[in-house]
Amino acid sequence: MSSLLDQSELVAAALRPVPAFCDVVDAHVHDIIEQTAEAAEAIVAQMTTVDSMAEVMAGDVAQLAGTLGRAESELTGVTTAADRLVDRLVSSLRSRDERIHRLVEEVRDLKQDVKRIEEVSKATGILAQNATVEAVRTGNDGFAVVADEIRKLADRSRQTANGVGGSLTDLTTRLDTALCHDSEFDLAGVTDAQREMSGIVTTILRDSVRAAGQVEASSAALTGETTGAVAQIQFQDTSRQMLEHVLAAVADVRRQSADVVAYSEGTLPAEVVRERMISVDDLRTRHVMGRQRSTHAASTGERTGEPDGAPMIELF
Amino acid sequence: MTTVLLIDDSATMLMSLKSILTKAGYTVETAGHGKEALDKLGKGIQPSLIISDVHMPQMDGITFVREARKDPGLRFTPVLMLTTESEQAQRAEAKSAGATGWLVKPVAPDQLLGVIKQVLPDA
Repeated sequence: MSSLLDQSELVAAALRPVPAFCDVVDAHVHDIIEQTAEAAEAIVAQMTTVDSMAEVMAGDVAQLAGTLGRAESELTGVTTAADRLVDRLVSSLRSRDERIHRLVEEVRDLKQDVKRIEEVSKATGILAQNATVEAVRTGNDGFAVVADEIRKLADRSRQTANGVGGSLTDLTTRLDTALCHDSEFDLAGVTDAQREMSGIVTTILRDSVRAAGQVEASSAALTGETTGAVAQIQFQDTSRQMLEHVLAAVADVRRQSADVVAYSEGTLPAEVVRERMISVDDLRTRHVMGRQRSTHAASTGERTGEPDGAPMIELF
Repeated sequence: MTTVLLIDDSATMLMSLKSILTKAGYTVETAGHGKEALDKLGKGIQPSLIISDVHMPQMDGITFVREARKDPGLRFTPVLMLTTESEQAQRAEAKSAGATGWLVKPVAPDQLLGVIKQVLPDA
């Protein structure tokens, strides 16, 4: 009898700290719930901020792509106009050169005419000299005066022709020099350089538009990922409810321990202890989440009795 | 703009769902439990859809549906229950109270938006 009392006191002594122990467990679990809730809220807030920034970035990049696209289109128009202008300029310069060439040839022809004038002047001078000799021989003074005037006229004609010839030579030399300078200027190169530059700028713009499109797509993908991440945060709510069920179970253990202690101290009748005794089946009926049911079945080595085949989404 | 009223005692759930729905173009109102939701509805909020948790303090989701259905203006407003629970008895109780559907947490954004499209085809 004494031994039985000792055993009963030992059991009561062992169970007496259980409520306080359960209180500590309860406090710890509440801390976990609170901390995970705070962390989850912070994560959602940050992901929402990231999502907003990604959306703003996607909008900005889309705007940039549009601007670059328009710039490319406008550049194509400007380039076409510039190409046409350069073509016209080159064509005009070539036409001018051809006209100058023809002018030089005409001037060279004029030099032949001047030479003929010089020959005529020379012949006229010889004729005037012969006339003077004949006038002296015949003693005709009037004829001598006319012959002298013709000789002077022939001299002036020759001098004038010489001057014109010199001027024409100088003019053809200067025109030849000018044409020579133009030929050193690569007109075809100007056209090619203009087209090459336009091509480079167009390529850069097209590459920029393509890059902007890729950034836009990446931003859209980023917002998709952040939305998924935000949805994943729901795990915290699921975990919280599972922990709340654990807390309810811990509370049951706490109460039963207190009941046993009270019974051993004679302050609680046996029938009340039996009536409030916890059972695994009671625990199972309070498991409302599919995963909890599975965990319970695995722990007790039993089948759940009702395979959790209920749909995750059901419209009534 | 289609307005959705979210009712859940979890701030995390409210933030998460609000983020998903706002991004999808919905206007979102929130309440922490059924009683607060009824108060907001009484002040003139006219949601096209209500998404409610089941277990909440002060007033649970099924009681909220039952009360909301007494209001002629809310008789035909779709109410989706979004909960961690998958018990058939609770689903039947929610259906009997007037709920439109039952979704088990966690729900993927695509799934949620797909169900909303089903119950609000014109939104």
